[in-house]
Amino acid sequence: MTQMISEINQIFSEIGFVYASGPEAETEIYNFDKLNVAKDHPSRDMQDTFWFKNKDVSEPMVLRTHTSPVQARYMEAHQPPIRMIVPGKVFRNEATDATHEAQFYQLEGLHIDKGVHLGHLKGTLEYFFSRFFSGRTEVRFRPSFFPFTEPSVEVDMKLLDGDSKLAGKWIEVMGAGMVHPNVIKGCGIDPTVYSGYAFGIGIDRLGVMRYGVEDIRDYYTGDLRFVNQF
Amino acid sequence: MKIVHSWLKDYLGEALPPVAAVEELLTFHSFEVDGVEEVEGEAVIDISVLPNRASDCLCHRGMARELASLIGVPLENDPLSEKLDLATTDKVSITIESAEACPRFSAALITGITVGESPTWLQTRLRALGVRSINNIVDATNYVMYAIGEPMHAYDADLFKQVEGKWHFVIRNAKVGETVSLLAEGGKDEDRIVELTGTELLIVDGATDTPIGLAGVKGGRYAGVHAGTKNIIIEAAHFHPTITRKTARRLGIVIDASKRFENEPSRELIPYAQNEIIKLIADIASGTFEGWVDEYKETKVNPQVVVPVAQVNALLGLALETSEMEDILLRIGSDIVAMDADSFTVIGPWERNDLLIAEDFIEEIGRIHGLHHVVSIAPEAAPLVEVNVRQFYTEAIRHELIEYGFSEVVTSSFTNKDVIQLQNSLASDKTYLRSTLTKNLHKVLDSNFTHTDLLGMRDVRVFEIGTVFDKTETSVSEHTSLAIGVRTKGNGYNPKDDAILKTACETVEQVLGAKLAWQMEKGVAEANLSTVFDSLNKPTSYGEYVSRQINTYKPVSVYPAMSRDVALWVKEDEMSFDVETTIGHAAGNLVVRIDLFDTFTKDGRTSYAFRLVFQSFERTLTDAEVTTHMDNVYQVVAEKGWEVR
Repeated sequence: MTQMISEINQIFSEIGFVYASGPEAETEIYNFDKLNVAKDHPSRDMQDTFWFKNKDVSEPMVLRTHTSPVQARYMEAHQPPIRMIVPGKVFRNEATDATHEAQFYQLEGLHIDKGVHLGHLKGTLEYFFSRFFSGRTEVRFRPSFFPFTEPSVEVDMKLLDGDSKLAGKWIEVMGAGMVHPNVIKGCGIDPTVYSGYAFGIGIDRLGVMRYGVEDIRDYYTGDLRFVNQF
Repeated sequence: MKIVHSWLKDYLGEALPPVAAVEELLTFHSFEVDGVEEVEGEAVIDISVLPNRASDCLCHRGMARELASLIGVPLENDPLSEKLDLATTDKVSITIESAEACPRFSAALITGITVGESPTWLQTRLRALGVRSINNIVDATNYVMYAIGEPMHAYDADLFKQVEGKWHFVIRNAKVGETVSLLAEGGKDEDRIVELTGTELLIVDGATDTPIGLAGVKGGRYAGVHAGTKNIIIEAAHFHPTITRKTARRLGIVIDASKRFENEPSRELIPYAQNEIIKLIADIASGTFEGWVDEYKETKVNPQVVVPVAQVNALLGLALETSEMEDILLRIGSDIVAMDADSFTVIGPWERNDLLIAEDFIEEIGRIHGLHHVVSIAPEAAPLVEVNVRQFYTEAIRHELIEYGFSEVVTSSFTNKDVIQLQNSLASDKTYLRSTLTKNLHKVLDSNFTHTDLLGMRDVRVFEIGTVFDKTETSVSEHTSLAIGVRTKGNGYNPKDDAILKTACETVEQVLGAKLAWQMEKGVAEANLSTVFDSLNKPTSYGEYVSRQINTYKPVSVYPAMSRDVALWVKEDEMSFDVETTIGHAAGNLVVRIDLFDTFTKDGRTSYAFRLVFQSFERTLTDAEVTTHMDNVYQVVAEKGWEVR
C-alpha cells in the first residue's frame, strides 16, 4: 500500500502536485458541509459514517469518509494556483467482503487555477494511468453525480499496450468532476475567477488492477505471506 | 430502476430507438445501464438513475423525455403537456397542519366503479417491472406512478367515515405514543402496528382523528379497496422529502412510493397524475369522475439562472457555438427567458429540480453534446512548491528498516477496547479506535511466526507507521506513530528480540537526526513521530526515487505448510543451484519453496542443507503424503550418488 502511495507521489510530483495530509478524525463541517453535502444527505447517516460520541468532542466529529476534507482545508490555506494530491486512510461503515473494508485508502487530486477545464482533467488522468500502469492509456468520461462537483463524471480507462488481463478493455476506475462553485466559494476562493477539477480513486482498487490482488482485506491483515510479495 | 422499452413508445412514438441504441445513448449521455432482460417478451432495461435526476426520471415519461432530449425530438404524446380541466367537488375537504411538511394534497372522487382484474396489457407491464397485479384500482395507482412518477393511493369512499356527507382528510404531525396500523409486508399475515415518536407525518381521517397512513411512506388497511368497492377517493400529494426519508429509514421501509417521495418529485405533477388516473380508471373500471379537491399551500418554482456563454466552454474545455448551446437548452425543455452574445437567462423545465445554477446547465450542455468531445490537455512538468515532511521522513524510515530486513504492515485502526469508543459500529469487536500500534503488532509478530519457513525467514521483523487516537480535555486527538517489532522465537517474546530491535530504533533515530521517546514492550518499540516532525530539517525534494520491480502477485493458500530439511554430501564442485533443481523436481509440485540454509566444505566434499516447504491450495497435507514425496527425493539423491547426512 505505502509503495503504491510512494509511486503515486513520485508521478504527481513531477507535474507539480503537492502531497497534502490532514486528520483522520474530522469535523462534520469539513467532511460534509464544506463539500456541499446536504444536511439530510443519506451518506451522513449512521449507516455510512462512523461518528464520535458527543461526550468526547466539542463539535460533531466523524472518521473521515473520504480525503476531500483535506482539499477543503488546503484551499482555505492557499490561494490558486493549487495542485495537490491527498492519499490517505478513510473509513466507511460498511459490511466487509472481498471488495469492501471499513478502512481503506483513497487518493484524491485537485487542480485549481484560471481556465482549468475537463480537458486538463482528462490529460492529467491519462498521464497518471500511463505511468502507473506502464503503458499508453486512454480515458473517457460518462455523466455522473457527486455533491461536490458539477459537472461530474465517471472515468473509464483502457490500457492500450501489453497483454495483462486489463489490456484492451474499458474499465470503470474513478469519479471526478469540476469542483462545485459552492465548495470553491466556501473555501475562500472566487469561483468566477478560478475553476478546477477534482478526482478520487480507491488505492486498494488500483492494487487490484495492477497486481491482481483478490481480496482487499489482505492489505490490512499484516500477513507477511501477502506483504512480502511486494 | 426498471423500464419497459416498449412502454416508452407511448411517449416517443416511432422515434423510439431500438434497445441497444437506448442503452448506448443513456450510458454515454445520461445514466449507467445495469442490464437488459426479457420478461414475457418485453425488453426490460435496468437503469441506474443518478440521485439528482430521481425527481423526474424514476418513471417512463421521464425517461422518454430524457431520450427525446438526447436524440433531439419532441415527445409525440406528453401527459405533462395536456391541458387540464378537472372539475372540482365540495364533498371532500382537506386540512393541512403544516405547509412545509405537506405543501400540496389532493383528493379525487370517482363513483360507480367496478373492481376487477386489470386488462392484460396493464398486467404485463406491471409484471415486467416485477410488480404484482392486485386489482384494477390498485394497479392503476401503481401504473400511474411508474408512468409519470407520482405515487398515489386509493381509498374505498364508503368505508371512509363521512360527516354530513363529506369526507375530511387531515395531514398532521404524529403525537408521541400514537399508533398506526400499516399494511402487512409481503408474506406476513398481520398488519404491522407502529408506535410513533412524534416526528412522523400522518394522514388522518378527520372524522374520527384516526391515523390511516404514514404520509409518503406507507398506508394502512383503513378504507382499503376490495372486490365490492363502488366509490373511491384517489390521493395524490407532496410531502417533505426529509421527513419521509427519516421515517422510512427508521421503520426499515423502502418501497417504490417512498423512494419517489424522498426524491421530491415536482408539486406541479399532481393535477397531471390525477388526470391520468381518472382517464385510466374510466377505461378499465368504468365509473364517473365527480370532482377533485386540491389544497396547494406552497408553490415552488425553478429559479431563473444566468449562464455566461464564455463559462460554458471554459468549464467544459469545448468550443461550442452559442447556437449549439441554445439548441441543447431547448431540447431539455428549458425556457430561455433572455439571450444575447454573452449569456443565456434560463429556467429549467418544471418537472426537474436539479437545474439551479449555471454549472447545472453547463453540465447538461456538456453531457448531451457528448463528453467524448473533450480533448485532453497533457499536464506540463512543474516545480514542486512544497515537500510533505511526514511523507519524506516516513519514506526515509521505511527504506532504512527494509534494508535491515523489516517488512511494513498496515493494520486495522479499530480495536475491541481502548480509549475512544465510536458511536456506531458494525462489528462488536471493532467499536474502539486504537491508541497504540503495539497491540496489533504483537498479533502480527506471533501469527507470522508460523509462516517463517514458507517465507524463507529466520525471524519476523515488522513495522507500522500509522495514526493512533487519544482524548484531550475537549476533544479527540491523533498522531502518527511508528512501531517496530521483532520475534526470533516461535513461542512469544524473547530477550533476543531486543538486540535487533535496539539497532532498528537507533537506525531510525539516525535517519531522522533526532532522538525519539520509545515505549518498549515485549519485542515491540513504539514512538510518537508527530512530535518530532516540526523540529526536523525541512526537505526540499523527495530524493532519489527507487522503483521496486514486483513480479506477478500470487494468492496465498489458506492451508498450513509443512517443512522438511534435507542435508546432503555432494562432490566439492557441485553447484547448489543444480542440486536444488534436482531435489525440487523430485519433491513434486507441492513444494512451494526451497531454501539453502547451510553450506560447508570438508575433506573434498561439500554439504548443502535445504529446507523444503510443502503446501497445497486444496487441503491440509498429511504427514504421510509429505513423507512419500520425501522418499522420492531420497531415491533420486541415491541415484545421483549423493549421501544424505
